[in-house]
Amino acid sequence: MMTAVLYFLIPLRSRWIVLLTSSIVFYFYGGIGTGFFMVLTILCIYVTALWLDRYNQTQREYLKDHPDLSRTEKKAYRGKIQHKKRLVLALGLVICFGFLVYLKYFNFLSAQTFSLLGLLGISSAAPQIDLALPLGISFYTLQATGYIVDVYREKVPAERNLAKIALFVSFFPQIIQGPIGRYHHLAPQLYEGHRFDFMECKHGLELALWGLIKKLTLAEYVGVVADTIFNDYTEYEGFMILIGSVAYGLQVYADFSGGMDIVRGIAQIFGIDMAVNFERPYFARSIAEFWRRWHITLGAWMRDYVFYPLSLSKAFADMGKRTRKIFGSHMGKMLPTFLASFITFMLVGVWHGSSWKYVAYGLWNSVIITSSIILDPVYKKVEERLGINTGCFSWRFFQIMRTFFLVSIGRIFSRASSFMDSLRMLKRMFSDYNPWIFTDGSLEKLGLSENEISLVLFMLIVLFVVSLLQENGMRIRKKLEEQNILFRWLVIVGAIVFLLIYGAYGAGFVASDFVYQQF
Amino acid sequence: MKEQLMEILKELRPDVDFENEKALVTDGILDSFDIVSLVGELNAEFSISIGVDDLEPENFDTVEAMEALINDLSD
Repeated sequence: MMTAVLYFLIPLRSRWIVLLTSSIVFYFYGGIGTGFFMVLTILCIYVTALWLDRYNQTQREYLKDHPDLSRTEKKAYRGKIQHKKRLVLALGLVICFGFLVYLKYFNFLSAQTFSLLGLLGISSAAPQIDLALPLGISFYTLQATGYIVDVYREKVPAERNLAKIALFVSFFPQIIQGPIGRYHHLAPQLYEGHRFDFMECKHGLELALWGLIKKLTLAEYVGVVADTIFNDYTEYEGFMILIGSVAYGLQVYADFSGGMDIVRGIAQIFGIDMAVNFERPYFARSIAEFWRRWHITLGAWMRDYVFYPLSLSKAFADMGKRTRKIFGSHMGKMLPTFLASFITFMLVGVWHGSSWKYVAYGLWNSVIITSSIILDPVYKKVEERLGINTGCFSWRFFQIMRTFFLVSIGRIFSRASSFMDSLRMLKRMFSDYNPWIFTDGSLEKLGLSENEISLVLFMLIVLFVVSLLQENGMRIRKKLEEQNILFRWLVIVGAIVFLLIYGAYGAGFVASDFVYQQF
Repeated sequence: MKEQLMEILKELRPDVDFENEKALVTDGILDSFDIVSLVGELNAEFSISIGVDDLEPENFDTVEAMEALINDLSD
């Protein structure tokens, strides 16, 4: 609130300084130690971008001053500059990702290496580091490195003001769990001053309120069910395990998308439009579509900075030529793309954390997507033979439920305490058929009272209806604006009262924590 | 050139109405796998080199945009 008042009080051109100051205060409130690595990352991308920009400028000027160069000469010159730029970019990326790998994965890699050495008869204690993971490091590292790659690709010019780069990396609403912003979209909005706009402010507050409702009246409660089952999974089997994974899926969706609504809502108060991170992922009809709707900014980052560069690289093109000779035209052509997709999903998996269970999570998604592409002609033939109408609602509904089930299986890998536990949970899930748990009162013994179960069901219906309306193109806040003033305020005040009465806060709940904060 | 392009597109995704769709990438009609396959085909057919920097939605949202990209890279 204080930040907003200050922001709109000072001259337009200096307003970004208020955002930067608030970001610094917000970040360093968590401890000077964790902020140290962010400062290093900011310095690294600042210098790297300027260095790259100098090469870009030299190239432009040289080509402008030598218009009579032949196409081959121009190509040779560009190749020479690109080689230098690649070295600079690689250095910047190694440093930025070096901090992330060191802080997030060193203990895991060290333990794995030394346990392998132990198998070879060389036993020694694995060295471990004892440093707290800086807040949001997985998010800001991707955002920061995306910027230097964009400068390398000449998509954006390098920013010469270090303080502005610091703001781009540390903007306070996004620091806990994203969204992972792109420089060309986010930075200009941060740097230019925005005038106070009552409607923007109101819509921002409405969005943040909706996010808070999702977080405090749904995520926190279904989270209790997920914790009950996952923390003591040996007590459960069959459908109970499935309920646990569905509950976790709903928890993480309400928590993460709720958090995003709060972040985007706060930014909107300042007139800043942050990237959308969710587009109703549980309406997806395939895992590939799910990843285009879930954590969109992570998926887009991985697509643009990992999948595309790998798929279109010379090494992969050469591989395609070789695989075509062995596996034939179609499959040979697709194999390098599958490999690029596999690497991308493994990175998505391990981005979440340093554990084998996240490797399994990435592998699961990769295998499902790859197999669905390979088997697509077979599915089409089966559908044709069985005379299935693939254009009707019931088929789309089946596809949505199938995707939901596959996503829920994947959730077991990411939520279980370890990879071995996730396998044991899967075994227990498929080892018993116990549909009676839905009627014999078992569901009431999962940590929630009868009233809390009713609240969860009510919120699921509300979330479903809102999602369905949005899916059909309705812009809820705009629609609300068209209603009479009495109805509008009734809805808003009703939502606030609902949140105050039913929101999960106080003893037993740490509402300030978000699931994705730990990643 | 348009005929060759349409042939490649129809082979890639026979289910898509390329003539009338105006947001092939933005609306998610073509996914990243389609784009990578398409780039491979276009590079081979038109002897061009579509780079990662060219993989912007606006270059692949319509057939006309693809034609313009091919023309640019052929120069």
